[in-house]
Amino acid sequence: MIRALLALFIVSLTLVGDGDARAQASTRPYRIYAITFRGMTDVEKGFQDYFAARRIPVQITWRDLNRENSRMSGFLEEIKRTKPDLVYTWGTSVTLGVVGTYDQVDPAVNITDIPVVFTLVAAPVLAKIVRDLKNPGRNVTGVFHVAPTEAQIRAMASYRPFKSIGILYTPTEQNSVVVVEEVREVSKRLGFTVIAKPLRLDANKKVTAEGAPEMVRELKQQNVEWLYLPPDSYLGTIAQKVVIPAAMAVGLPAFASTEQLMETGAVAGLVSRYHSIGQFTAYKAEQILVNKVPPAKIPVETLTRFALQVRMDIAEQLKLPPPLPMFNYAELIVPKPEPAQPAAAQK
Amino acid sequence: MGTIRVRFIIVALVVSFFAVGMAAFLNYFKYKSTISGIVKSRVLVIGRNVENSVQASLSVGMQFMELGTMNALLSREKASDRLIHGIDVFDQTGQVLYSTERARVGEKVSNSWIEAAARSKTTEWGTEAPDEYVAGISLKNNFDLTVGYLALRYSAEEVDRAAKVAGREILLASIFSFLGIALVAPLALIVVIRRFERDLRALEAAASHLEDRNEPAGPTGSAFDTAIGNLRSSLREANVALDDLRAKLDSVP
Amino acid sequence: MLEKNYLWRIYWRLAGVIMVCVVIALAVVSFFSHRVFDRELVPETEQKAATVGASVRALVLKATSYGIDFSQLYGVEQTFAEVFEENPEFAYMAITNTEGNVLFARGTEPIGARSHFRNPVVLQIAHETTELSKAARVGQQYIVSMPINDDGKPLGVLHVGIDAAFVDHVLLEVLLDVVVVLVVSLFFTLELLNFMAGARLASGLGEFARQVDRMRSGDFTATARIRANDEIGRLLRRIDSAIDHLNVRYEFLVGELQDKLRTATAQRREALKPAQDALEGISKRLRFGSAPEATDGDEMNLNRIRAPLFAFILAEELTRSFLPSYVNQLIVAIPGISPQVVIGLPIMLFMLIVALGQPYLGSWSERVGRRKAMLVGAIVATIGFAGTALAYNLYDLILWRSLCALGYAMVFVAAQGYVLDRTGHQNRAQGFALFIGAIMVATVCGPSIGGILADNIGYRLSFGVSALMSLFSILAIMRLPTTEVVLPTGKPTRGPRMREIMALIVNRRFMTLTGLAAMPAKVILTGVCFYLVPLYIVSIGNTSAMAGRMLMVYAVMMVLIVPLSASLSDATMRRDRYVSVGLIISGLSGLLLLLSDSFLVLFGVVFLLGLGQALSIAAQSALVAEHCQEEIRIYGNDAVYGVYRLLERLGNALGPLIASLLVILWGYQGSFVALSALVLFCGIAFTIATHGSEWQPAAPAHS
Repeated sequence: MIRALLALFIVSLTLVGDGDARAQASTRPYRIYAITFRGMTDVEKGFQDYFAARRIPVQITWRDLNRENSRMSGFLEEIKRTKPDLVYTWGTSVTLGVVGTYDQVDPAVNITDIPVVFTLVAAPVLAKIVRDLKNPGRNVTGVFHVAPTEAQIRAMASYRPFKSIGILYTPTEQNSVVVVEEVREVSKRLGFTVIAKPLRLDANKKVTAEGAPEMVRELKQQNVEWLYLPPDSYLGTIAQKVVIPAAMAVGLPAFASTEQLMETGAVAGLVSRYHSIGQFTAYKAEQILVNKVPPAKIPVETLTRFALQVRMDIAEQLKLPPPLPMFNYAELIVPKPEPAQPAAAQK
Repeated sequence: MGTIRVRFIIVALVVSFFAVGMAAFLNYFKYKSTISGIVKSRVLVIGRNVENSVQASLSVGMQFMELGTMNALLSREKASDRLIHGIDVFDQTGQVLYSTERARVGEKVSNSWIEAAARSKTTEWGTEAPDEYVAGISLKNNFDLTVGYLALRYSAEEVDRAAKVAGREILLASIFSFLGIALVAPLALIVVIRRFERDLRALEAAASHLEDRNEPAGPTGSAFDTAIGNLRSSLREANVALDDLRAKLDSVP
Repeated sequence: MLEKNYLWRIYWRLAGVIMVCVVIALAVVSFFSHRVFDRELVPETEQKAATVGASVRALVLKATSYGIDFSQLYGVEQTFAEVFEENPEFAYMAITNTEGNVLFARGTEPIGARSHFRNPVVLQIAHETTELSKAARVGQQYIVSMPINDDGKPLGVLHVGIDAAFVDHVLLEVLLDVVVVLVVSLFFTLELLNFMAGARLASGLGEFARQVDRMRSGDFTATARIRANDEIGRLLRRIDSAIDHLNVRYEFLVGELQDKLRTATAQRREALKPAQDALEGISKRLRFGSAPEATDGDEMNLNRIRAPLFAFILAEELTRSFLPSYVNQLIVAIPGISPQVVIGLPIMLFMLIVALGQPYLGSWSERVGRRKAMLVGAIVATIGFAGTALAYNLYDLILWRSLCALGYAMVFVAAQGYVLDRTGHQNRAQGFALFIGAIMVATVCGPSIGGILADNIGYRLSFGVSALMSLFSILAIMRLPTTEVVLPTGKPTRGPRMREIMALIVNRRFMTLTGLAAMPAKVILTGVCFYLVPLYIVSIGNTSAMAGRMLMVYAVMMVLIVPLSASLSDATMRRDRYVSVGLIISGLSGLLLLLSDSFLVLFGVVFLLGLGQALSIAAQSALVAEHCQEEIRIYGNDAVYGVYRLLERLGNALGPLIASLLVILWGYQGSFVALSALVLFCGIAFTIATHGSEWQPAAPAHS
């Protein structure tokens, strides 16, 4: 009996922390200033859902950059005027616009005195937003969304084992170059070969889609078993029209590293669900707002579990059905026109 | 004869009682843990099915608090095994969110459940109440945050019944083999004891004839022959000396 | 020692017969258990197979619902492999189509499976739409079959094969514990033989042998002793009566002679002269009359200490293999102290109380009487055990364990005093052999049985068993003779004085022995056996029973090797060499964990540790007498040995502390290795330090 009481006491102690903060917060909602890059996405929905589920009152001011960097200065001015509790930034450009790179911060322009939580930044260190993921060291923290390269490779292998993979990438995008390097590293450990082909540059040193279908065919002739699509902005713009059709024509399955690439017609991909990313971002915001942890001490992280997505129609076209165990955990996508097969893996 | 024999036999009985008792104890508990392990893992198979559905729903952006199909799913899974009394899903405060019994929704679960879940190093946990066992799974979201717990309450009766049956049989087997020992061990022991007793008897016989003047019937082969020889010779020596004194006394009229 | 060897031969033969009977009985119990297991576990496992199968079937149906052709499913074998991983008792899984042809399979296919799958009765299953499964014995497996039916459209049959031998595996796991029970039974038998019959027999036969010797030396004095009514008692009575007859005859002759002399004339006196001479000759050679009041019977009383001591020590030893795990469960975070150290705290405190209490409890037990002191100690310890069983958290646990420690120290010291009181110079070694023997047998039986108990009935109930054992020892102590033997010397023993401790602590020769040999040996003993082994074993997912088995290996090594090394170290080699070799072997033991972290290696560790300790333990304390004669002359034997024992026991208390600190730094394995390395270093240092000529064995003239 005494023990039970004590346990109750301990449990209640651990809960008091949360409860107190919530009770205190209920008097005045936290004010969040959110800037998106291209309108509302699932990320924002997840962000709001999390606060609702945790019953944390927030008042969010939504602003959309709409891909026009010129609007940034107006937002910054508004932030400085309204002094919100937290700033939310979507994507690399918005985040850099608000906080600047760590080696070039201008307090007159950038936000330094208000905590900033970023989301959907593919490579925060490469973009010079933070120096160290575990220890941001400035008034900024956030969530990145690309699954670790090795996890992607393993996911690919669990769909169909392979000895060789091909990669198309934009040589001018440092992000992609780094990922290709990482894939090579992993290949040494797991024992497979990597054939990576950079997209061509035109006379102005601008990247071009020209020659991409030939490269895909070459890869197929070199006996690669998968075409890996790295988180590459330019590749994302040409995948659906150029790369995927070429791959499908020669029966080469494509594996996507982001949800956008997944939508271009890859058969499978290990991606972060935007909704989950949004929730995780809200969790980081909760740490700052409710638990009063300084952002400098909150690590920049990504999800621990990613969604393995499979396009069932593509799998059927390629005659590559997903392995049976995958039906337990994969998100099976059947394109819209098909009759309702809920994407959620309901039995 | 007898007291020593009885004592040795008592030792044999005590030791075999201990050994047989321990063996019965070990077998019984092994049986019980094996069978409850089998039943628990069977219940957890169903738990995993539920967990998979929850994960799938969470990763497409549904809220843990708002899983509309949950109660129906739980009822369906519960029906697949008659052993299961009920399935509950509760949050970290112990409040039931979904259940196969509508009345339980909103109630608090026993604190021992939350403790058991917290103690476990894996996502699986379990507790035992007298009438009902609980097997559970901790539900985690995409960033490894525990969002709630799944608890399958199942009948303790199945395990108890099996344990009772087996316990009775193991007990019977033990009693019979102990009785067997109680019959056989004395017989076997007597073979060894007899030699010991023969030695002792020879000793006693020799002692009873200590004062006979005649030489003994020769060595008995017992371990005490030398000792008895010594005894005899010292007695004889003393008697001879006294005889001599007697003779000397008698020689004087 | 005719009678001792004779008796042991009888014991071993009796024990042999008893063991054979026990083995047969255990075989019978195991056989019947197997039958029960088979009958009850198989249907239960079939049920589980049906549930697991249903889950696999749901997956298959989900895949086909996405339009994947049933025969074109990919990665089915992978799913089977995952099932096997979680359910090792499943040996085979297969999916057949409606004709019974195997489409997917994994595992060992039992003989006759193919024809079983094509059996029309089995194929009929595919057409079932209900939740049905059928089980059948096929070859060495039980095959559970269930339909894969898509809403009335039969697709095929799923088969799950259960290895029929899995019941054997379950029982094989019990077998290890049964072997432990056998070993313990053997020691138990010997101990009981000694307790039930031996004490009386040994003292009876000893009395007989002494009587024979007395008579050979011409001592025919009558002892007015009451003989027990058993075989030996009757034998002794016969001898008594023969002696009585002799005495009567002698008295009669003496009386007659004196009678005649008194009335005799001078001439007759002359004639009686030869008779008188003969009588004088007899008186010179032989003695008659009644013997002085017997003070002995001591030997028999000495033997009687063994049973209560054994029962009491057993109570404490039972807890060795699981105490740290129990503490771990009750742990309360103490700010500033790492949990690793906190777990070691109760053990440390126990050893410390025993170490510091012993010198003072010695004189106390002398004052109140050994029996009473033992009684008080056992009662205190019983309360301690009961309290430990019911402990609420770490704080009161420490209190209860302190009571246990206090009781332990009381009983230990009083029992030691009891032996000292009843032994003279010539049979003291024998008395202590008996004392050590009871303790050693308890260390063999205790931890292993305790581990088994803890695994099955839980830590608390196991402490309850300890309390019960301790209670038994109270009953046995009450049967000890109430009369105390007061030593004629009358000098009360005392604890060592501070001055002596300080003087000896800076004495190089003394500290070489104590600091480099005795203390490290104890540190590694308590650090490894009482702290690291129980915790490490459980931390790698093994059981307390396994920890108990490990500790049993150590104890068995001690029981086997100590008598051997004790007799050898007197004969063949310098004592300090034994200590060196023992320390170095102990020091190498933990280094084995550098090779592998498997628990089998741990067996090697305790084996070597037991070997090393057994080799050095007998020689160590003898070395003090051998090499510290100068110090003994100055401070006295008691003081030197008092300080030696005190420091040795402080080593006991330091063991868990050092081990736990090392765990914080380097983890369990690192702690094993570091502790061993420390002892290895001490062993080498000791070897070098004792290399010189001053450490040559003392000249025979000395001893």
